[in-house]
Amino acid sequence: MFESHPYDVHITGERNINKKNSKRITEACKDKEVIRFVFMGDTQRWYDETADFVNAINLRDDIDFVIHGGDISDFGATKEFIWQRDILNGLHVPYVVAIGNHDYLGNGEEAFRAIFGDPDFTFMAGKSKFVCLDTNALDNDYSRDIPNFSFIEETITQEENPYENSIVIMHVPPFDRIFNNNVNKVFEYYIHQYNNPLFCLHAHTHHWSIRDLFDDGVLYYGCDAIHERTYMIFTINPDNTYTYELVHF
Amino acid sequence: MNWSTFRIVFLFLFFLNQSASFANQRSEEKENRYGTIIYEKHLNRSKEFWNELMPAYSKIHFFGGMGTFSIGFGWDYGKRDQWETDVHIGLVPRFSDKKAKATFTIKQNLYPWKIKLSRFFIFEPLSCSIYFNTIFGDQFWTKDPDRYPKGYYQVPTRIRTHLAIGQRISYDFCKKDRLFWKSISFYYEITSCDFYIISAVQNSYLKPSDYLNLAFGVKLQFF
Repeated sequence: MFESHPYDVHITGERNINKKNSKRITEACKDKEVIRFVFMGDTQRWYDETADFVNAINLRDDIDFVIHGGDISDFGATKEFIWQRDILNGLHVPYVVAIGNHDYLGNGEEAFRAIFGDPDFTFMAGKSKFVCLDTNALDNDYSRDIPNFSFIEETITQEENPYENSIVIMHVPPFDRIFNNNVNKVFEYYIHQYNNPLFCLHAHTHHWSIRDLFDDGVLYYGCDAIHERTYMIFTINPDNTYTYELVHF
Repeated sequence: MNWSTFRIVFLFLFFLNQSASFANQRSEEKENRYGTIIYEKHLNRSKEFWNELMPAYSKIHFFGGMGTFSIGFGWDYGKRDQWETDVHIGLVPRFSDKKAKATFTIKQNLYPWKIKLSRFFIFEPLSCSIYFNTIFGDQFWTKDPDRYPKGYYQVPTRIRTHLAIGQRISYDFCKKDRLFWKSISFYYEITSCDFYIISAVQNSYLKPSDYLNLAFGVKLQFF
């Protein structure tokens, strides 16, 4: 009702979503053999489609959680994050959000951090480790640790939470102009340090795609922007295999 | 040269000198008078010019995307003083950002109607405003920084354009009661900015309570 400025980062309502929902996901999937999750992204300024997506997911009962691939806002304005959070909070299953390059516009990063938490985070679902990485290097003028290899090194470990396979989520894929392409090969190397990397997920390109970017067998799946009215379902099987499906809603 | 010739030449030179100095005195006086007139004219013109520029009122404005509060001054003009141009400096508290921010706003208002409610109260049932706000901080820009390919974002995060409509009520102080101000006005506005208007046009999901904001303020009229 009263707004100091569109970039005021005055956050009302729920905060720290990623940490809370990671915990919920881990607990809900603790004893599950098969994990089934939805991947989507780029909901920026497509509120109608995002609300329809939430309704479509709520009609299903076979989804464990949802991963948003980033660009939750279009201009980085505070209210955009709040509007999208409120829509996604309507999901009956927990969700987490990766940070996108549009989320960095203005002081969007601060709004993202306040509402969703650190852009780099991991969580466990069954025997799978999900690693969400900030890859928006150009928006930080290549002057910050993006991608953060130290974070990857810290989270590779099997000691605390042993995992059988890993899935890496990012907004911008390698070779995109926003990615720090000077470290492409290092990034590939580090991804392979995780135990049994099954595949990588990204948003940003706005078009569904499957690419073996490094010819190393780890596929990069890109999702449509939400205005295309699609989402992807991935099913992780007990034998560390997986299947995927593109769903129109 | 005999004595009489010398006397004649002396007297001639004396009068010549006298007449010259008299003439000089006259012309200096004339110049001084002329200079004084130009100076006074210039001074008056300057005074008139600066008087014209003197703000007619000040405002204390709350919210509306111009800061939690902003202070400003402005000028009213037009046949019925129906036009107003304000400039404001505002403060955005830190909230969850790393630091507080300052904003600067240029605001154009139109009050098409005035309704005299009583001897002292005037009600203006409609205000229409457009204002341009800039926020200070390195993270905001008017055009994409050079590191991006040309036209990558095309979002001038530093400049916001707002539209507003509202109402105002004014109290005219009786001449004998005037201490600092001629009148005091209270107003409110319903505002929205370019980001929200674009989003609202494209999405039926968004409700007016999402994209409309409320602002209010006080206007103190000097003259």
